[in-house]
Amino acid sequence: MTHAIECRDLVVRYRQKNGQFVEAVKGLTFSVEPGEVVGFLGPNGAGKSSTLKALMGFVEPLAGECSVFGLAAGSVEAKQRVGYLPEVALYYPFLTPFETLSLYGELQGLRGPTLKKEVSSLLDLIGLGHVMHKQNRTFSKGMLQRVGIAQSLLGSPDLLILDEVTSGLDPVGRKELRNLLKERQTAGATLFFSSHELAEVEMLCNRMLLIHKGQLIEERRIDALMEELRQYTLTYSGNASMVGLTDHLEAIRPGVVRAAFENKERLLEAVARVQAGSGTILDLVAREGSLEDYFVDTIARAA
Amino acid sequence: MKFGVWKALARGVVLESVRRKDLWVVAILGFLIMAGAGMLGFFGLKGLETFAKDLAASVLGMFSTVMAVLVGSRVMPEEIKNRTLYPLLARPITRFDLLFGKFIGATWVTWIAFLLLAGLTSLALAMFQVPFEAVMGQYLIAKMLGLSVIVAVSMTLSVFMTASAAATMSFVLAFGSSMIIRALVMAYESSSPAFQVVFKFLNAILPQYGLFDLGSRAANGWGPVQAWVLGALAAYALVYSSAMLSIGWLKFRKQAI
Repeated sequence: MTHAIECRDLVVRYRQKNGQFVEAVKGLTFSVEPGEVVGFLGPNGAGKSSTLKALMGFVEPLAGECSVFGLAAGSVEAKQRVGYLPEVALYYPFLTPFETLSLYGELQGLRGPTLKKEVSSLLDLIGLGHVMHKQNRTFSKGMLQRVGIAQSLLGSPDLLILDEVTSGLDPVGRKELRNLLKERQTAGATLFFSSHELAEVEMLCNRMLLIHKGQLIEERRIDALMEELRQYTLTYSGNASMVGLTDHLEAIRPGVVRAAFENKERLLEAVARVQAGSGTILDLVAREGSLEDYFVDTIARAA
Repeated sequence: MKFGVWKALARGVVLESVRRKDLWVVAILGFLIMAGAGMLGFFGLKGLETFAKDLAASVLGMFSTVMAVLVGSRVMPEEIKNRTLYPLLARPITRFDLLFGKFIGATWVTWIAFLLLAGLTSLALAMFQVPFEAVMGQYLIAKMLGLSVIVAVSMTLSVFMTASAAATMSFVLAFGSSMIIRALVMAYESSSPAFQVVFKFLNAILPQYGLFDLGSRAANGWGPVQAWVLGALAAYALVYSSAMLSIGWLKFRKQAI
């Protein structure tokens, strides 16, 4: 099966103003399958935007290759199937959102009533229908981000590449965007986006790629990761032994112990041991793990 | 051919320019010219047709050249600076399409400004009872061709350097190339064969903006040029602009943005 995105041994190098070269991406290899929603994470300067730029053909890789649906990244044929949201863009301050999207739509190959209809419906969808004839320069950062999101959706692309997708959006805007992206995924689109908002990644993604200093350091399925990060605590009385299940035991008062477990299977085994030993289960808590802590710990380990 | 793509890009440049009120500056300049002409008429300079036409051609030439240089040298750097380039290049178009569409747009803006100014100047000349002659029409056509060359040169320079550096360099070429070429021609006869080759080369690569200036002809009433002259000027403008844009494209096509 053809990958929606495939990068193999990608190296992106820039020349700095002082004449020295800096490698933003160092031999990155990954793939994204059609219909997947993949979050592309990493600290500032990790090489996320450079990778996305290489995927769009904005920078020429020094080595390696990228393809989109089997087509050379950045080629006209590949771009026909991709919608892209840049990290920061101004979107022609003196044009209106309607004119801006009409311009992009024409470049996309849309014409006449089809173009007008799509532009109007996209602007309505993104919540800018009532201001579609006001100039972009009068808009807030969040509204401009909506213009950007709308332009990325023009022509119903098969693949959405979104750089810092929630940047500038308020909580309501984020929720609306999340719903919109979920709809697109349901319709069969593939989503690949970079974000610092780990909550968004957790709510939207099937999978995440974590890069640091231009290299892939983790690649995980979100559901499996969240399951792994979930912590279970059991508070019980009695003398049940937890040997082999956990070392995290804490006596909170005489005869009462709180034990923490890494997974559900160990917790269930512990419950069985407490009950077999005629003990009493006083409390049982499953706490969601923090993706943020995981992110910070993983980056710290890789540093 | 991607006429639809080029037209859309060009229309965007014109629309931005109109909304940014660039053309208002030209209109204000035009009205100043008219006011100046009115003053001259008031002080009794009626009948000095040649002077009035020469002055009009000079003012038109200067302002339109400034406009062509400024529009041509900033159209691409502004796209990069404002990062409006990303959503554009994310579309299924090539970098050549982008460069060429922007060139057409910048040329249209310059032509509109020039024709606006020329219209107002014609009105001012009409105050001196100066009739609009065929050679004046030829002057407009030749000047428009010359302006497209200035835009192409300015745009190409802006791909290699900053907008302000490109504008400076373009101004030097636009206002100094005729002088430089005259000096080359004068020095040619007395130079060694080796230098003559160099001078010939320089003469070939420098833009011959002077060829497009029929201002003196229009001012002195020397009559219209033959049609083939305009054809030759159009061919020169086409070849030179194409060469310039090709050089710009060679740099821009692989440039990291």
